Amino acid sequence: MNPLDLAQVMPYLLIAQKTFFVLCAVLYFVFSVVVVKQVTTMSKNIRDKFNSILIGFSYLHLVFAAGLILLTYFGL
Amino acid sequence: MNRSRDLDTIAPDDPIENGSTSESTPTSSPEAKTPSSAKANTHFSPPTEEVYTILGHTSSPFSSFLVRPKVFDFSERDNDEEILLALRPHWFTNVSWILTAIAMLFVPLLFSIFDFLGFLPIRYQMVSMLFWYLVTFIFAFEKFLSWYFDVYMITNERVVDIDFNNMLNKKFAEADLDVIQDVSSSVKGLAGTMFNYGNVLIQTAAEQNELTFEKVPNPERIIKLLAQLREEKEHHALGGKQ
Repeated sequence: MNPLDLAQVMPYLLIAQKTFFVLCAVLYFVFSVVVVKQVTTMSKNIRDKFNSILIGFSYLHLVFAAGLILLTYFGL
Repeated sequence: MNRSRDLDTIAPDDPIENGSTSESTPTSSPEAKTPSSAKANTHFSPPTEEVYTILGHTSSPFSSFLVRPKVFDFSERDNDEEILLALRPHWFTNVSWILTAIAMLFVPLLFSIFDFLGFLPIRYQMVSMLFWYLVTFIFAFEKFLSWYFDVYMITNERVVDIDFNNMLNKKFAEADLDVIQDVSSSVKGLAGTMFNYGNVLIQTAAEQNELTFEKVPNPERIIKLLAQLREEKEHHALGGKQ
């Protein structure tokens, strides 16, 4: 491939790269929603001292996952 | 469900260490404090002092061997049922994933040293590392949850096994103390022998004919406790209870 062709393809590669990162971030966000749901369900089934802390962690993780989407979409 | 209120107020586990103090165990069961409810429901028999002596005492809330936990409950518990022992796999079973998580923390460092992500623009490299740290966190978090919510319980009425496999499947298994036929234990390996944990196999005459408490601490004590509870249940069933 000559340098001219590479320059022509590069924008498309960058778009593909960004799309891949955003897609991964979105999938990760969906997964983190499932984690929140699951921790809540587990906590309802078994109640113990630290359940609220665990639920808190799962929500914190959800916030970070949402932040990752924003970062990949606007920051890249 | 009013379970935690009952245990917090009338079933403290502090005084049962020696099992010899007069105010300790038999009088602290829900039935003993609430005679009217005991009359209403004779199905649940309060364990004797001997049971509490076998159980001993747990001081740490992080323990895998929680004796009469104050703030602990499960959704399928009956109102008059008392949790005598709540078990989780021994803490040592967590060591492997903790070490893995620590190793995962250093992976981005290796990547930067050997420049594995050099083909990506710097912003992509940073996002990749951030993503990796989130994956590391969720790996450790899920492993912890699997341990934390993998609970075995012995109540004054039955044995219960609650397990959440891979976060999405819940398994609930129980067996009445009456239907337990045989209890055996196995302590395997160097770690099991050193830290005194192993499997307790409970065979029953019920539909669920086998329950296994996996990698739980003090298996011999659990066997002793179950034997005592079964004996008391039989005694109670024969009308020998005062």
